[in-house]
Amino acid sequence: MMRAIAALAAAALYGLVALPSPVGVTVGLAGLLPAAVAILARWPLMAVVAACGYLVAYTVALSIGQAALRVAPALTFGLALVVFLEAVDLSARVHRATVQGGVVRAALGRWLALGFGVLAVAIVTLTTAGPLARILPQAVSPLVAAAGGLASVLIVAALVRRAA
Amino acid sequence: MTGRVTPLALSLVAIAGWAVSLAVLSDRAELLLAGLPVLVLLAALARPAAPPPYAVAHELSSDRIFEGDTVTLTITVTARSRIGLIELLGPRPPGSLVRSGHHRVVMTLGRGDTGRASYTLHFPGRGAHDLGTIAVRVRDRLGLRAWEHRHVDPRPLLVYPRIVPLRHVPRPAHVQASVGDYVSRALGEGIEPGEIRQFAPGDRIKQVNWRASLRLGQLYVTQQHRERNADVVLMLDTLAEVGAPSETTLDLGVRAAASLATAYLGRKDRVGLITYGGVMSWVRPRSGAVQYERLADALLRADVVFTYVAKDLLRIPPRVLSSQALVIAITPLLDRRFAKAVLDLAARGFDLVVLVVSPVDVTRAAVAPTATGELAARLWRLERGADLGELRRHGLPVIEWRPPAPLEAALAESRRRRFRLANAG
Repeated sequence: MMRAIAALAAAALYGLVALPSPVGVTVGLAGLLPAAVAILARWPLMAVVAACGYLVAYTVALSIGQAALRVAPALTFGLALVVFLEAVDLSARVHRATVQGGVVRAALGRWLALGFGVLAVAIVTLTTAGPLARILPQAVSPLVAAAGGLASVLIVAALVRRAA
Repeated sequence: MTGRVTPLALSLVAIAGWAVSLAVLSDRAELLLAGLPVLVLLAALARPAAPPPYAVAHELSSDRIFEGDTVTLTITVTARSRIGLIELLGPRPPGSLVRSGHHRVVMTLGRGDTGRASYTLHFPGRGAHDLGTIAVRVRDRLGLRAWEHRHVDPRPLLVYPRIVPLRHVPRPAHVQASVGDYVSRALGEGIEPGEIRQFAPGDRIKQVNWRASLRLGQLYVTQQHRERNADVVLMLDTLAEVGAPSETTLDLGVRAAASLATAYLGRKDRVGLITYGGVMSWVRPRSGAVQYERLADALLRADVVFTYVAKDLLRIPPRVLSSQALVIAITPLLDRRFAKAVLDLAARGFDLVVLVVSPVDVTRAAVAPTATGELAARLWRLERGADLGELRRHGLPVIEWRPPAPLEAALAESRRRRFRLANAG
């Protein structure tokens, strides 16, 4: 069951990569092939490689396509990434184990809740990002973006370090 | 209980960093949005969390079994608060096989819920195991944190060697003072009729042989032979073994020893045990059902301990290895030191029988058959035939047991012709 969910997520990711540009059909294989290996071998580390491959392919497809910002596919892409990683991880955990009822149901509920949470955060972010972009001078916006990105990663790393 | 961040959380951190980096480098906001679910998920780590309370219990269907039997282990988990995912790794001792179910259990529990899982373990070989440790890993609802704990509640399991009923066992040359199944030469109380003699004061009326008395005109009585028991010492070679796990020459020797012990104890004999190897241990000869427990406990722990030192049998106390005992040496004769010890015992006048577990057949059963293997087995058998002939030339009765042929057949074939026993106590 978990491997089927992971396969669905991998297929969705491939479809989303192929969406912005026809080049995505080819570059999407950078994610799809390791994803297939990860699903078949129940190998979480390969799933991370596949996720990174999908992100690179998505970046290439977006850069070549030069399409306008589309929020829904990007959020779906992010959610599919999470579902894919968690599903491969869970499929490795339940392999050759007695699985009591509720494990898959709990995972589906968790992903649904995450979807709603992400939607809410995205609405808030996009609502505040619009006025902020108008205030910021054009020249400093890349620097602010880089600083924001670095800060978010550092904050997450600090959280992980504290939790560990 | 040890808490840590799960590998999944670390993977998500890597993905988040990768997404943000690509977003900044490529100047595409979609990648930031793609990284948003990951960042939202990781933000949950900001909230401190404690391990969810739970209780684990487990039980075994039996604490004593024989080789080849199965035991069912049931694990019960009760959650005192909601548990996102709990993983349990039940005990699986080396050499055991999971026959039904899995020894790993994954479940999600709500507050107050109880989860139960069972699996069956098959034990093809003997041994003393402890099935008391369960590894528990509890994950939080998002799967980002995990707490590990070892639930320890000792549950010893003894797997006794398989016993084969034996009708023909080597007969001892000497008997002891206690009552047993062997007809002694000495006359006294018993049921086996002996010589006839004239009636003497003190004789019982029921002993009068009326036929002889009527024929000879005076009273004659029939004397009886005493029934006595014997001391049997099983000497097990633990210097070396060959063969596949749970079917090694030592395992077969242990089964033979257990079967012989059961047969002799059933004849009211006193049975002792000496394990001759890297570590030498012994069980003093005694009789009764409790003695079987002692012998079985010693036998299921018998193992090969490598040593260069040849142990001296003089270290064994005389009450364990008495000169009147029948010594049955059970050996694959892989180590010359054991043959030397056996010859030493024979030279000291012990009543000795050597039961040789053929390592050739055991090894052939463990390896794939090839032409070279067959040739090697033939050569090995010839060499061993010469070794056994050497022992026989020293006057030792040697019984060769070639598994999978039954032990009973080997014993019956080589049944020794023994005279009626004397030296009653």
